[in-house]
Amino acid sequence: MDKKKALIVDDSSLARMMVRKFFSDGFEDWDLIEAKDAMDALEKIEGQFLHLALIDFNMPGMNGIDLAEKILEKQPGIAIHLVTANIQERMQLRAQAIGIGFIKKPISREKIIAAMQEQTK
Amino acid sequence: MSREREGMFRLSELEEDALKEFFNMGLGMAANSLSQMVNNEVLLTLPKLKVVPYEEATRMLVANQDEKLVAVRQNFKGELTGTALLIFPGSESLELVRTLLNEEIPLEVLTELEQETLLDVGNVILNAFLKSFTQMMHVEFEFESAEFLKGSSRFLLDITSHLAAQNHSLMEYADADADERAFVLMMDFKTSDENNTNHTLSGFVVLLFSQQAMLILRRELEVILSNL
Repeated sequence: MDKKKALIVDDSSLARMMVRKFFSDGFEDWDLIEAKDAMDALEKIEGQFLHLALIDFNMPGMNGIDLAEKILEKQPGIAIHLVTANIQERMQLRAQAIGIGFIKKPISREKIIAAMQEQTK
Repeated sequence: MSREREGMFRLSELEEDALKEFFNMGLGMAANSLSQMVNNEVLLTLPKLKVVPYEEATRMLVANQDEKLVAVRQNFKGELTGTALLIFPGSESLELVRTLLNEEIPLEVLTELEQETLLDVGNVILNAFLKSFTQMMHVEFEFESAEFLKGSSRFLLDITSHLAAQNHSLMEYADADADERAFVLMMDFKTSDENNTNHTLSGFVVLLFSQQAMLILRRELEVILSNL
């Protein structure tokens, strides 16, 4: 069976390493694509079908909301979650307004599992 | 400064990235608290992080600011012991107070309320900022009450004054030179509210760690990174 594909976009190496650790330890049926910013992500997902995307908000260049909108244009319906330290209510509402989820940093295994479960709904 | 001492300030790229991410979370929590106080969204900018010895930290602040500064000082004690300072240029602090009180207030009244309001703000921001350390690190510490300070950057970073405020550690540091203390300096704390983009608040968060606290910080970073 083909593996599912997840995308993590974060300019922090630590944040990417944490997500990589969770995926390599227990989520073997998933492939993880890692990107350090929006441009890197758009390049790496070209021609790929994603099942889940975890996107930081504050990144150099394009922010996470704008990137999420671009990905949704290409793949409507994909489960996207903004993973951010910016936990203000308005940020959560902004994510909600474009139909994506919101995960408060720090990321954890439980939060990723919840996002995956939402993806399968 | 000895080579060994210099090494304490030199973080690897990954350690620096990790520390920056912790600060980012702290900044997020701080901005969230601030946004609730101003009842508006506070926009974050990516923090610039520098880990530098005392002398360099002072030089950086002096180079950036000629005018009088205001600061809120918050000492913390425990496994991590040190001083956190939230510093604003004097003119911007009044602007922040005006935003917080959300009405047209005469300057003289504003000045009277400055100290009280900034203490509240500083307390909220610095507590949120420091608590971010406890999210991923196994360190415990307690906060002391916040104090309001006003003066030049050199005055605000005066190590003697901070150590005197941390009375229990005075003896511990009595023989140490100023350059023997580790400093983590984060600059460019910028906020602006959504409806009035001209209102931008620039400030600094300066964390002054004891050498021992710096060693604990590095140890915790190593533990976290080795588990990834």
